Amino acid sequence: MIYLDYSATTPVNDEVLDTFCKVSRNFVGNPNSLHKLGVEAKELIDASTRQIEDILKLHDKEVIYTSGASEANNTAIMGVVKKYPNRGHHIITTRLEHSSIIAPISALQNEGYEVSFVDLDENGLVTIENLKKLIRDDTVLVSIGCVNSELGIIQDIDRLGKFLKKYPKLIFHSDITQAIGKIKLNLDNVDLASFSAQKFYGLKGVGCLIKNKNIKIEPLIYGGKSTTVYRSGTPAVALIASLAKALRLVYEDFDNRYNYVKNLNSYLREELSKIDGVHINSSLESSPYILNISIKNIKSEVMLHALESEDIYISTQTACSKGGSSIGVFEITKNEDYALHSLRISLSYLTTKEELNVFLKVFKEKMRKLDLFNESN
Amino acid sequence: MKVIKITALWCSGCLIMNNVWNEVLKRKDIETISLDYDMDEELVKEYNPGKILPVFIFMNNNKEIRRVIGEKSVEEMLNIINEVGEEDD
Repeated sequence: MIYLDYSATTPVNDEVLDTFCKVSRNFVGNPNSLHKLGVEAKELIDASTRQIEDILKLHDKEVIYTSGASEANNTAIMGVVKKYPNRGHHIITTRLEHSSIIAPISALQNEGYEVSFVDLDENGLVTIENLKKLIRDDTVLVSIGCVNSELGIIQDIDRLGKFLKKYPKLIFHSDITQAIGKIKLNLDNVDLASFSAQKFYGLKGVGCLIKNKNIKIEPLIYGGKSTTVYRSGTPAVALIASLAKALRLVYEDFDNRYNYVKNLNSYLREELSKIDGVHINSSLESSPYILNISIKNIKSEVMLHALESEDIYISTQTACSKGGSSIGVFEITKNEDYALHSLRISLSYLTTKEELNVFLKVFKEKMRKLDLFNESN
Repeated sequence: MKVIKITALWCSGCLIMNNVWNEVLKRKDIETISLDYDMDEELVKEYNPGKILPVFIFMNNNKEIRRVIGEKSVEEMLNIINEVGEEDD
């Protein structure tokens, strides 16, 4: 099998899985219980939280555990607007966001909130100038993801956050799901940040919302204090410990892994560029972990299944959305054909050059065959 | 004439077109049936919306007379409504 869909999800790391199993077996108490078993479980969660805070260099922030990034994104967006209804009913975001950002914002639009999309520059970047134009007295929330999941476009959330500090009534949220463990992050100027563990070799079913301590949000799930007051439910001790472990492991040897993947990306980009009918959509400044391409005359789903038949796995667009056209690709290329025929190849430090060579060989064969098939029809 | 509007919550183009259509409705009185791509899956299937959202299907006497796919401006939608009205005459 050649797996090149690491941005959709990653395989769990063996050590992370071991942590999950050991904690599940050995920490049976409910962290909210007052007895010894509860205290032990709570201490483990507290240690995990401190580890996350240390790794991400969080200052004056709280860690809210969730079931994943979608819940964290929903908690951030709904939590802010419901907590501060008197600040206004205007939200700013981008066309590059994940469906778990767009969907709650659409739901708020149905309730009467106004939504503005920031214009992006030719590289898909949010500029301060474009953002400034949209900010109003009643803007309550700005949500801009750090790394776009389809093309890997990296927004400078630190710079945007610094600028947004000029508007103290406005809260800045960033989905950092595709960034965490992959690019260097500074969350000092971000009010809320969400991510899930399954994108960095952790388990599915756990994520975090990082929140500035001085901001309040309304919970999505009520039921009393859990690890925080912002998300009720018996804390998932083993999942939380496994998330901290996954985070620690992904930041070990970070620079070497980053450079390794960057080299793989450059190689793949160069080789794909030589193939007739292939257009590279991701810019050179994009995250090296994602390479988005469009293929002429061949439906992306057809290519996806053709590769799948050879045990090679890539994706068409973000696994969480539907429909055949990539909004992200269209935003950047302004070309409907590219948007309809885009493929995402996502890499990992686990990817080898040999795997890429096999992928390239099969991809070229499939391009030729599918193109011939199209011509004869 | 009535319009079947097919949108999805996760679709930013649909969010934009909801605003556009609301503006259109301020100027034109058109019966609109709003369907959600996910929540109204069975009903949506009957209209075979394809893969690009949103979809606006103009109907007359339960017969499709025009289909508009993707994002348009208020003016474009108003022009389409006029064209459809003329064709219908």
